[in-house]
Amino acid sequence: MTTTRADTTLATPMLEVENLEQRFPLRSGIIDRLTFKGGRPRLVDSVVHAVNGVSFSIAKGEVLALVGESGCGKSTVAKSIARIYTPSGGRIRIDGEEVGGYGHRQMLPVRAKMQMIFQDPFASLNPRQKVRDIVAEPLREQLEARGEGNAKARAREAALALLERVGLNAEHATRYPHQFSGGQRQRIGIARALSVNPGLIIADEPVSALDVSIQAQILNLMMDLRDEFGLAYLFISHDLSVVNHIADRIGVMYLGFLVETAPRDRLFSAPRHPYTRALLSAAPTIDPADKAVEMELEGEVPSALALPSGCCFRTRCPFAFDRCTAERPRLQDVGDGQSVACHLVDEPERDRP
Amino acid sequence: MDHQSATAPLLDVRDLRTWFHTFSGTVKAVDGVSFTLAPGEVMGLVGESGGGKSVVGFSLLGLIDPPGRIEGGEILLDGEDIARASEERLRRIRGREIAMIFQDPMTSLNPVKTVGAQMDEMLRLHTDLDEGARKARCVAMLESVGISRAAERLRAYPHQFSGGMRQRVVIAIALLASPRLIVADEPTTALDVTIQSQILKLMRKRIAETGAAMILVTHDLAVVSEMVDKIVVLYCGRVVETGPAREVIANPSHPYTRGLVDSIPNPKHRKPRLAQIPGAVPDIRNLPSGCSFRPRCPRAQARCAEVSPALAPTRGTLSAACHFPILEEVAAAMATTGGERA
Amino acid sequence: MMGQLLASQFFYNWRRNLSAIAGSAIILVCVLIVLFGPLVSPQNPYDLTQLNLLDSYKPPAWIEGGDPRYLLGTDGQGRDVLSSILYGTRVSALIGIAAMLMACTIGTTLGLLAGFYGGRLDAFIMRVADIQLSFPSMLIALFLMSAFGTGIDKVLIALTLVGWVVYARTVRGSTLGEIQKEYVQAARVAGLRDAKIIRRHVLPNVLTPLIVIATVQVGTFILIEASLSFLGVGVPITQPSLGLLIKNGFDVLFSGLWWTSVFPGLMIMAMVFGINLFGDFLRDELNPRLK
Repeated sequence: MTTTRADTTLATPMLEVENLEQRFPLRSGIIDRLTFKGGRPRLVDSVVHAVNGVSFSIAKGEVLALVGESGCGKSTVAKSIARIYTPSGGRIRIDGEEVGGYGHRQMLPVRAKMQMIFQDPFASLNPRQKVRDIVAEPLREQLEARGEGNAKARAREAALALLERVGLNAEHATRYPHQFSGGQRQRIGIARALSVNPGLIIADEPVSALDVSIQAQILNLMMDLRDEFGLAYLFISHDLSVVNHIADRIGVMYLGFLVETAPRDRLFSAPRHPYTRALLSAAPTIDPADKAVEMELEGEVPSALALPSGCCFRTRCPFAFDRCTAERPRLQDVGDGQSVACHLVDEPERDRP
Repeated sequence: MDHQSATAPLLDVRDLRTWFHTFSGTVKAVDGVSFTLAPGEVMGLVGESGGGKSVVGFSLLGLIDPPGRIEGGEILLDGEDIARASEERLRRIRGREIAMIFQDPMTSLNPVKTVGAQMDEMLRLHTDLDEGARKARCVAMLESVGISRAAERLRAYPHQFSGGMRQRVVIAIALLASPRLIVADEPTTALDVTIQSQILKLMRKRIAETGAAMILVTHDLAVVSEMVDKIVVLYCGRVVETGPAREVIANPSHPYTRGLVDSIPNPKHRKPRLAQIPGAVPDIRNLPSGCSFRPRCPRAQARCAEVSPALAPTRGTLSAACHFPILEEVAAAMATTGGERA
Repeated sequence: MMGQLLASQFFYNWRRNLSAIAGSAIILVCVLIVLFGPLVSPQNPYDLTQLNLLDSYKPPAWIEGGDPRYLLGTDGQGRDVLSSILYGTRVSALIGIAAMLMACTIGTTLGLLAGFYGGRLDAFIMRVADIQLSFPSMLIALFLMSAFGTGIDKVLIALTLVGWVVYARTVRGSTLGEIQKEYVQAARVAGLRDAKIIRRHVLPNVLTPLIVIATVQVGTFILIEASLSFLGVGVPITQPSLGLLIKNGFDVLFSGLWWTSVFPGLMIMAMVFGINLFGDFLRDELNPRLK
């Protein structure tokens, strides 16, 4: 693609992820690793295949939600991008800059463009730090790295304004986290993410630990902030009704694979992947009358220690046929911004249980 | 309503008060809760954290430990007040009359005993069956909750089951002695949605088959609306609204219930902003005067600060504890004019 | 600050716990002795000009032949036992506290590094700790003292080497728990280097359980030091600790001159007893599982 310098900034996606892989070696003792496969003793290292080649991009100001059940790798994707984990493979471009191989020092300026909101409002704030220092920390780090004087005081001052912006006030600045409710703590976490004025916020289940009425407050705040600061969100959630409310586009993950991605309305009105369809019909709603076509899954998610051959979903899929065991389906474009990783796309006549 | 008055209630909770005496003051976790449950009826006990819903559940089984205490009120099970029953009597009631299903199956299963041993123990305690009959019953029960190769799985330990399977085992144990009431405290909250829907479907089916009554304690209105006949909404230890499930969710008359329902994102009526209840649940040791919901309520007036409202019929089949209930029926999610700025 | 303390649950429970109050009282007395002992002492037991050999082996004042100037009697050099105890308590307590501080600093540092980085560093530190734990600490201390020779500095080194393990293990355990928490991940996302994460985030959150260990350890160290000095490999004769006082009187203990070692012995007992009483109370208060 050849583009002029002027429009790169707008056209460059805020985040591009290509073939992201994340594996974790399972640390266990020698006895657990010992096997006698093939007649002689050998040491085997087990590896958790948490993320297996995930690709997507997020435009500036866009909200992409990753949904899926526990263990599907959605949070791992978030943490690999935020470089809490070092990715095992693939490319990550933030605002056009390839950061996959960056070390700590090179990564620091990038962190001013990307921040994170966490799931647990109790564990995500250091109980021994005052609120103003919690909120100030990312900015303070940036200022100190640039060698600017008075970093601590300046970052604290900025923190006060941020606290007000997220609905707290300056008196709260010198208190400790335990003096706040869950919803207020989540506001503090949001203020911390905003302190460096990032273009991308990675939100890992930001409302799932909150009561439903507080959930609405936080979702509204996040949407207001997006309008105000032009934020892009990578929004991780298991709650389809929340995702339906907040996302522009949705990616569905299963066992570390991205199985379907589509614009929100498209995904809810015309899901293609069997897993997406099962997920949508399993989600409880307050209005059971509008239940989608019933499709119930048997069994449970296979272990990420030993991925099934071929399609990751074939062990539970009511449509599975021989090709699904032999060949791993690739994510392919089916039009209208929708992509699906399923062999049924090529053989629609099999789409009958 | 008519068929209910015809049969005597299985459970009649009257003015239940369960308080916790802590260093920083008395926590009135449950403060004057009343409801009745007919045989075979499924009731949802809903509310946000701090509402007291789990404490009600634990009170029913006599599982309140110091510094907590049932301070007053009656829990009539078939006319017998079990709030004052001896520990001896409660042990007989638990399992046989009332069974409990917890959120985390690991807390109710013993990790060092096989599933079979735990099921057998339940039957030995509560039935006169001989060993062969007990085993047959256990196998049949495991199969009925969808666990294959049941005879073999009896010898497995809890950690050898996945989360969903474990919850099935807990349900099987709960149903073993054919209790007449099951208290399920957030039984699917720890599970994934596809597993949750399996478990809910299973519970609905098995409970209908056995004719047991159930109290489902949950924060999730969507789960409740798919499962229960009637809903009791708690806020700060008191009942704020009760009525048939459909009606409570479609057209609640208490502003708190209205707020709860509206704050759930509804794909059918998508708006740029969700309706939100402002503020947070107050500190239960330091409740506001009058109605506890007053500081967060869009309809509050001077009277709400003075008199604590009593539960009274509001509209149709609903009852609410509110001086100014919502009397007009409004289509869901149209009632409030969007939330105010955060 | 004081008002906050008085209104806290900690103080509320303290007031209702008799052994905690007793322990605190004993500790307070010991602290006063450490701070002001030499000022109130009737005699400077190391100033040879104040000693009078004619006054040797005087029994305590309330026993026949006792001298009202020497409340708890005198030893073979005519030294006032009470004064010796006041000075000796000071030596014992200061050695216990200083060694505890050193062990705590070293153990906490190693525990933080082991827990935070894991891998080989962790394995190495923890294996050393395991090996050390498989020997009685008294044995290790004796061995070290025989190798180093006597002296207060040597005692401190020996006690530190004996005592760091318990901190390292505790801190490593808490560190493993803390680094899983999201606030540590948040610090990474903010761009903090490891050293800063450890100092600003992990360290403050692993300190609480150390308070109990440190308190009880002061008592343990006082006992170990006393044993070493009693065996003659501890503090030098010029700065006698309570242990050395016991040893000095021990030779004549069964000749009826019991006071020269019994009173220092009672002092050690009271001090360690007080510390342990208070330590138990702290353990109950700070253990979140009991709340």
